[in-house]
Amino acid sequence: MNPSGDPIQVFRAEARDLLERAEAGLLDLLQRPAERPIIDDVFRSLHTLKGSGAMFGFDALAAFTHHCETAFDRVRKGEVAATGDLVSVVLEAKDHMRGLIEGGADEAHGKALIARLEREVEKAAGTSPAQPAQAESGTHGWRVSFKLPHDALLNGCNPLALLAEMRELGPCRVAVSTAEVPVLDALAPQECHLTWTVEIDAECPRSAVEDVFVFIIDDMTLDIAPLGDVPASEALEVAPVDAAPGTPASPPPVATTQPAAEPVAPATVVAAAQTSEKRNTKSDESVRVPAERLDELMDRVGELVIAQSRLSQIAAASPNLDLRAVSEDIERLSNELRNTMMVLRMVPVGALFSRFRRLVHDLSRETGKSIELITDGESTEVDKTVVERLADPLVHLVRNAVDHGLETPDQRLAAGKTEAGRVCLSARQAGGEVVISISDDGRGIDHKRVREKAEAQGLVVPGAALSEADTLQLIFQPGFSTAATVTSLSGRGVGMDVVKRTVEALRGSIDVQTRVGSGSDISLRIPLTLAIIDGLLVRVGTGRYVIPLSAVEECLELSPEEDLRARGRSFLSVRDALVPFLRLRDVFGTGTQPERFQKVVIVSTGAERVGLVVDQIIGDHQTVIKSMSKLHEDIAMFSGATILGDGAVALILDVPQLVAAGQEQEAQLRAAG
Amino acid sequence: MPAQLQALEPQNSGSAGAVEVLTFELQGEIFVLEATMVREIMDLVAMTPVPGARRFAAAVINFRGRVIPLADLRIIFGMESRPATIESRIVVIEISIDSTPTLVGLLTDRVNEVTTLDLANSTPPPMVGMRYRPDFVRALVHREGQFVILPDLEKIFSATPGSVRSMQPA
Amino acid sequence: MSGKILIVDDSSSLRIAVKIALTAVGYEAEEACDGSEGLQKASNANYDLILTDLNMPVMNGLEMIEQMRTLPKLAGVPIIFLTTESDAGMKQRAKAAGATGWITKPFQPDALVKVVKKVLGK
Repeated sequence: MNPSGDPIQVFRAEARDLLERAEAGLLDLLQRPAERPIIDDVFRSLHTLKGSGAMFGFDALAAFTHHCETAFDRVRKGEVAATGDLVSVVLEAKDHMRGLIEGGADEAHGKALIARLEREVEKAAGTSPAQPAQAESGTHGWRVSFKLPHDALLNGCNPLALLAEMRELGPCRVAVSTAEVPVLDALAPQECHLTWTVEIDAECPRSAVEDVFVFIIDDMTLDIAPLGDVPASEALEVAPVDAAPGTPASPPPVATTQPAAEPVAPATVVAAAQTSEKRNTKSDESVRVPAERLDELMDRVGELVIAQSRLSQIAAASPNLDLRAVSEDIERLSNELRNTMMVLRMVPVGALFSRFRRLVHDLSRETGKSIELITDGESTEVDKTVVERLADPLVHLVRNAVDHGLETPDQRLAAGKTEAGRVCLSARQAGGEVVISISDDGRGIDHKRVREKAEAQGLVVPGAALSEADTLQLIFQPGFSTAATVTSLSGRGVGMDVVKRTVEALRGSIDVQTRVGSGSDISLRIPLTLAIIDGLLVRVGTGRYVIPLSAVEECLELSPEEDLRARGRSFLSVRDALVPFLRLRDVFGTGTQPERFQKVVIVSTGAERVGLVVDQIIGDHQTVIKSMSKLHEDIAMFSGATILGDGAVALILDVPQLVAAGQEQEAQLRAAG
Repeated sequence: MPAQLQALEPQNSGSAGAVEVLTFELQGEIFVLEATMVREIMDLVAMTPVPGARRFAAAVINFRGRVIPLADLRIIFGMESRPATIESRIVVIEISIDSTPTLVGLLTDRVNEVTTLDLANSTPPPMVGMRYRPDFVRALVHREGQFVILPDLEKIFSATPGSVRSMQPA
Repeated sequence: MSGKILIVDDSSSLRIAVKIALTAVGYEAEEACDGSEGLQKASNANYDLILTDLNMPVMNGLEMIEQMRTLPKLAGVPIIFLTTESDAGMKQRAKAAGATGWITKPFQPDALVKVVKKVLGK
């Protein structure tokens, strides 16, 4: 009865989240092995994964996860320390779990992992846990903080019964927070918005408390901390286990309950001071939306933009003032909607970065190199498509940096560097772009060696003049590799050309800065908005084309005399500067006669300015980019197509590619005659 | 794709199987396509040429808000291109290209009908002696006194060497 | 312990066993033999808790729970379903339909009473 679709798919999506959460927690544990809230969170993720797995028929997963959960339970209870080795095994186990969910898991591997897990647990049990004070605490009581889902009451859950059950465990002090109760007008009386904090003085195991919530634990927020626990920041000063029965370090104001089951007066407003770090069993304040729905919405918004621009055209030509006023309103609303859509699709780049911590951890073990990973700008937001498409290229770049860039610890020390190599991943917004960089402080790239290799591979004619920047760009050519040996980590360099292609497919660019001996910096620049762009609509022959406004610098008129003067030459004179130009009529082979007064659109490809000669400039045009089909996707000159207000199709120019293609065409013509 | 057609291999061309097809004409020859892949039959609409595209798909059209390629099977089968007439139609189909479902518009001289074809009457294309590339034709089916051509569209549009996509651009 | 409970199950022996267990500790119990009858009775009388099997003719337990949750009268009334241990998928579906909790079959009368008390709070 799951309204949002196939339950197995829903489980898979949630399982993926749980696994990511567990991984993040495990990686945190490597830095802070004794931090209780992290351990609890990892345990909870494993526990939920096991339970849900069993529910949806993933028996192998449930059985396997059970082992990890048991191991982590021991860590939780303080019997076993979360050693680096133990965490590493659990991280590998987590990968195996993913394999069990998505297919491709090897049973023998799973068994081997369990064996290793058990060995590590035993080894870790031998070492004293970092905080003996935390072991088996809670024998003096528990501090339970919980919040029920809004529809809990409707589904028959009775908070009073829950409180009554806890009272059976021992004397309770109950406090409630009404902080989230909506104002009366917005309050649906059957919804539950209260948060309770209950302190139970009872020598009972944690499971007894959890049992109270057994029917609802999957849907609620529940935090159980031992009474006598202190805030994480003061953890190091915690008293040893045989201290007097604890009182909370900062007791929140409480209201004692009546013995009879009278409702806790909602008027008792208490800001329940949460001293222990609270992690929810279920993420709140967000709605899970399948990505396809977002894309559909994007399409609808795009079509709306097209229709609205047509409306604007008609209204502008109409004497009807009311129509014009409404059209302006709709234009404003449509812009706002478009901006909201952009924002909806934005996700923080941090989502990408998190997987690199794991990668670097694995790489460090494999290569024996000590690596420090620094990330910056995780909160920089980027369209979700960018995150998806850049994931693999970034992995490749990081691997490359570690494998080819960083030296071994010995080499580094000999060179006077720190033993640990540093890899820095950063993201920032600059103008209409997002810049993602990967830098390392390794040995840098020697452009002379790059040049040699390129010549040996036949990619460059010996003696051809190439700037240092262009030489470095050669590393993105297919088949190029400067590595003397092929390592299993980064392959033969076949990845770099894919990286470049992926970035360019996102209409971005990739830039390499390096200094021999000091390190390298590779920057990916990606435009912020992917699907809707502002463009300049032009006519060349009988066809109409869109030039992205971000590339346009200015527009000029080309008089017939100037046109004549320009024949046979490749430069136009613009305000005393010489600007190379391309006649799009020729590039596109329209076979039509030129307009008497043509126009020149001066565009910038980043590196240079070029004039594009067109027959007519029609005007500004907001367009929704539709991608070219498989039969046309390899035509580099066009990055996509769009539908104009009158239903006709206009192709969108990819300015750098167009310029390159046009220049090549001219070179061929010149060579031919 | 109907299972019956999948079984249409030379060795069991005797297997019975009736399938719904759309019949259309190109240069007087009758072609058939499985009706299940047809999304729409349209009158001719504005075609936007794509500079630098291969001749067999030199233009795109607007189909229900999407920009789809317009393919000219005549070029694929080596026929001469003739100007359009009042009977010309565009048949929009959905086929798998490189494992991605893709919409393609096919230019036709005339669309005849949707009818049932009995595959028991089909023979695989002869390797020689036929005007058209045999690897682009799945079968020749005998129907009402003549042979109609069942093209292998997935093969035609796939990216394998020798396919039309490896042709040089115009 | 007090409260009026509706037992919905197509097995008359189970209904009798449950009725005895519940009345022994002070609850009132009434019976229905399938989802349709259960729905009808629940709409006409006031129950403090509904106990139901899932697999029943005419109208099964899931459907009945869903329908019950559309009746304002039954909002907030706990519904407990009976399930076999291995039927994990069913638990999820029943909860999604609006059930409050479950008891695994086969169960001892004590276990049943414990769950009823837990959910009712009295």
